[in-house]
Amino acid sequence: MKVPIEVVVNRKPHHVEVDTRTVVADMLRDQLRLTGTHVGCGTGSCGACTVMLNGRTVKSCCILAPDVDGQEIMTIEGLADDPHHLHPLQEAFVVNHGFQCGYCTPGMVLSALQLLNENPHPEETEIRRGIAGNLCRCTGYQFIIKSIKAAAETMAPKK
Amino acid sequence: MISQEIEFFAPKLLSEALALLQRHAGSARPLSGGMTLVPMMTLGIAQPEVIVSLNHIPELDYVVETPEVIRIGAMTRHRTLETNTLIRRQFPLLADAASHIGDVQVRHRGTIGGSLAHSDPAADYPPIMLAAGARMKIASAAGERWVAAREYFKGLMQTDLRPGELLTEIEVPKLAGKFGCGYQRLHRIEGNFPIVNAAAVIEKGFRSVRLALGGVGETAILVEVEKHLKNGLSEAALQSVSDAAYAAAKDAPSDLNGDSDYRRAMARVYAQRAIKLAAAALPAN
Repeated sequence: MKVPIEVVVNRKPHHVEVDTRTVVADMLRDQLRLTGTHVGCGTGSCGACTVMLNGRTVKSCCILAPDVDGQEIMTIEGLADDPHHLHPLQEAFVVNHGFQCGYCTPGMVLSALQLLNENPHPEETEIRRGIAGNLCRCTGYQFIIKSIKAAAETMAPKK
Repeated sequence: MISQEIEFFAPKLLSEALALLQRHAGSARPLSGGMTLVPMMTLGIAQPEVIVSLNHIPELDYVVETPEVIRIGAMTRHRTLETNTLIRRQFPLLADAASHIGDVQVRHRGTIGGSLAHSDPAADYPPIMLAAGARMKIASAAGERWVAAREYFKGLMQTDLRPGELLTEIEVPKLAGKFGCGYQRLHRIEGNFPIVNAAAVIEKGFRSVRLALGGVGETAILVEVEKHLKNGLSEAALQSVSDAAYAAAKDAPSDLNGDSDYRRAMARVYAQRAIKLAAAALPAN
């Protein structure tokens, strides 16, 4: 069964015909060609598919596409305002070697954004809890945590 | 992609959702956060033909207080319960439990109603519902009924909900000022289901004590310990609590997280810890 939905993705409205069996991650990748959102496990464990739904991080492999009709999504492609410049979080991940293969990175960055939006000066344990829903099999997490700490420094209003 | 064809509905009113669930009773599943149901559909373990999404019904998402109770709409997300100031003040046990569920993304989407309707035997909420003496409001196109938590959990992922019915509200008593509460869970990895969990609610002066355990049977269970604590905490009283928890956990399952004997041993430990925590949290005088 196909249904038409209206969804705002990265500040642009889209009209999409979706099969009711499609999850949001597949709609973003296959229909909107926004392949920055990755699919790892497909069952809500790994966090590679993390996107912002109405301003809050969710796992887009566990939400049916017809359920985002009328909603607003931001993917990693929508993070930087200007396509020629990186967001400070992306910059911090690059400078601090916060990734190796890059598969988990879009989800990590969006989870970090969620954390810093709510808590601009997180302790290390708060960073670890903030990215608990995102698995990385390369880095051992140390450089990811270092990246998020560095991003907090540049992004946060000065204390 | 999910293999089973799905007819999808997204009603905006509870009355519409109940009419749809009645019309499709037997083939329809209500969808709340989907943190369990959608992966089960992806894996082909659940194959509903009709989905009635509850995500567009604002009247099911609320936390309000009356002089005696807190009323929680079934579509309230875990993250809301974790951060809501009313819940944190009046029912901190629930905020604490909510903060342990999955991860941030899961807590943003998953709901208390969905979790209680799914009724995993080791979920975080059931022992708290039992220990606090919560009530569930169940609605259908035919009307509404209330069920006490102790009557609600029926078996392995089985509740008192019947086809066409929907859990719409959870009502919990206000505990601040009169009760001490404690919640403890055993887990190996952040975000995993507890292996064993325990919730305790103690009334000032040990006038009443309720202890509930999860992960040690097909449902969370209440453990009768009040009589052991009539005279407050003592080494002997805690030993009796431990023995009661061990006996009550006789049907504890075995799996890769631990065998039945291990769970029964941990039931002893976590029961005592929850009781000690609740006693320490008792309001002064």
